[in-house]
Amino acid sequence: MKHLLLIVALAIAALAAPQTVAASASADGHDGKINPKEIIFEHLGDGYGWEVPFCHHERIPLPVIVRAYDGSWRCFSSARVAHGARYDDGGDIFYIARDGDYKGKVVGVKPDGEIYRPWDISITKNVLALFITVLCVILCCMSVARWHKRNGYKAPRGFTGAMELLIEFIYSGVIKPTLKENARRFAPYLLTVFLFIMFMNLLGLMVIFPGGANLTGNIAVTLVLSLLTFFVTNLFATKHYWKEIFWPDVPWWLKFPLPIMPVIEIFGMFTKPAALTVRLFANMMGGHMIVIVLTLLIFIFAEMGAAVLGATTVVSVFFSIFMLMIDVLVSFIQAYVFTMLSTIFISLAQEKGHGEHHDNEHSGDSRPAHAS
Amino acid sequence: MELFTPDFGLIFWMFVSFGVLFFILWKWAWPAIMKGVDSRADLIDKGVLYAQNAKEQLDNARQEAEKYLDEARRRQADMLREADKMKTEIIEEAREAARREAKKEMDAAQVAIQQARKEAQQSFCDEVSAFALDIAAKVVRNQLADEKAQTKLVDSLIDEMETSN
Repeated sequence: MKHLLLIVALAIAALAAPQTVAASASADGHDGKINPKEIIFEHLGDGYGWEVPFCHHERIPLPVIVRAYDGSWRCFSSARVAHGARYDDGGDIFYIARDGDYKGKVVGVKPDGEIYRPWDISITKNVLALFITVLCVILCCMSVARWHKRNGYKAPRGFTGAMELLIEFIYSGVIKPTLKENARRFAPYLLTVFLFIMFMNLLGLMVIFPGGANLTGNIAVTLVLSLLTFFVTNLFATKHYWKEIFWPDVPWWLKFPLPIMPVIEIFGMFTKPAALTVRLFANMMGGHMIVIVLTLLIFIFAEMGAAVLGATTVVSVFFSIFMLMIDVLVSFIQAYVFTMLSTIFISLAQEKGHGEHHDNEHSGDSRPAHAS
Repeated sequence: MELFTPDFGLIFWMFVSFGVLFFILWKWAWPAIMKGVDSRADLIDKGVLYAQNAKEQLDNARQEAEKYLDEARRRQADMLREADKMKTEIIEEAREAARREAKKEMDAAQVAIQQARKEAQQSFCDEVSAFALDIAAKVVRNQLADEKAQTKLVDSLIDEMETSN
C-alpha cells in the first residue's frame, strides 16, 4: 500500500514537473526553448520571492530592505518589484535588474537617472531559509535541553533521542577526543555549527516551500561559517601556535633572511578556512546541480519525441531520487566533515608546545623547551 | 555568477542569524545538554566502576569464604588425623600396658610354675627315692633270704667291678 502511494505520488510529480518547467521556460520569454544554464542558476541562486509549490508564476512575497542613495532605509514587499515592475517609493525608483552587472538584484535609480546598487539586506529566499533553519535548530536543541533539565539521567526517546544521539555523536565522538580538556570551551560553537549546517543541508533538499533554498551551496554562507572558524581558531590560539607560525622549529636558513616558513605558515592560516569554504560549497552545490540537471534532461530530450521523453523521464527520475538519497547522506557527511575539520584546526591552535625540543639542535636560538 | 560572489545581504544576515542561534543555544541549550551528557557518561562510568568493584569484592568474598572453608576443612582433616593418631597411640599404649601386665603375669606364673615344678620334681624325686628304697629293701630282703643268693649277688657285684676296671 505504501509503495503504491509512493508510485502514484511519483507519477503525479513526474507529470506535473514538465508543466512547471515548461511554464518557467515560457515565463522567461524564451518561446518554449529551455535555457538549462539559466534554469540551473535560478534554482541554485537567491531570489526576492519564494516559489509557490507547483506554480511558477506566483511567488511568496518577501520584504526587500535597501538603503537608498540618500542614506534612508526603504522597506517594501518584493511583490512590488516582481515580474520586472518598477516600484516608486516616494520618488525613488527601485526594480530588479534583468541584465548587466546587477542582474537579478534590486537596483535604484537616482533622480538624475543614474542606476546604482543600494545596500541590500533584504529578507531574500536564502535569508528566510536561514531564519527557518535557525528556528528548527533552536527548537530541536531546546527539546533536548529541556529533557535534560527535567529528566536528568534518563535517556530521551523518539525525536529528542535522535537529536541527542547526533549531539552526543559529535560531542563525544569528535570534540572530546580531539580537544580533550578544552572540549567544554569550544563545544558550543562546534555543535552549533554542525547542527546548523546539517539542517541547512537537509532543508535545502526539500523541494517545496519550507526548504529548497540552496543555502550551503551558496558561497556567502560557507564563507561566513569558515570565517567564524578562522576567528575562533586564531582568537583563542596559544602562544605556541603563534610561535610556530612566525618562528617555527626549522633550520634557521628557512626563516632568515628569507622568511620562507613563516610565509608558508601564514598562507596556511588562510588556506584552511578557504578549503572549508570551498569544500562545503562545492559539495552541496554539486549535489543540487546534478539533481536539477537530471531533471532538465527530460526537457532537453523532450524535443526528440515521445518515446525518448518517456525513457528519459524514467531514467532521470530514478537517478534524481538516487542522487537525492545520496545527498541526504552527503548532508550529514559534509556537516560532520566541516565540524571535524574545524575541531582539528582549533585543536591545532591549542597546542601547548609538546616535543618542542626535537629540533632544537638545528635551530640555533630557539627557546629551550618549556616543561608542560 | 552570483554563486561565486558572496552577497553582502546574505553575509550580513548569516552573521546575525548565526549570532542569534549561537547566543540562544550557548545560553540555554548547550550547558544543560553538555552537563546532562557528561554527567550521564560519568554516571555510567561510575556505575560500571561500581559494578566492577562489587564484582571484585564479591569475588574476594567468595575467595575469602573459600579460604575459610579450606582452612576449616584442613583443620578438620588435621583434627581427624590427630584423633586417629591419638586413638592408635592410646590403643598402642593400652596394648603395651596389657602386654606388660600380661608379661608380668606370665613371668609371675612362670616363676610359680617353675617353683611348683621344682617342688614337684623334688617331691617326685623324694617319692621315687623312697619307692626305690622301699623296693630295694623289699628286693634285698627277698634275695638275702638264702645263702646262695647272697653269695651270687656278691660275686656278680665283684664281676661287675672287675669288668669295669
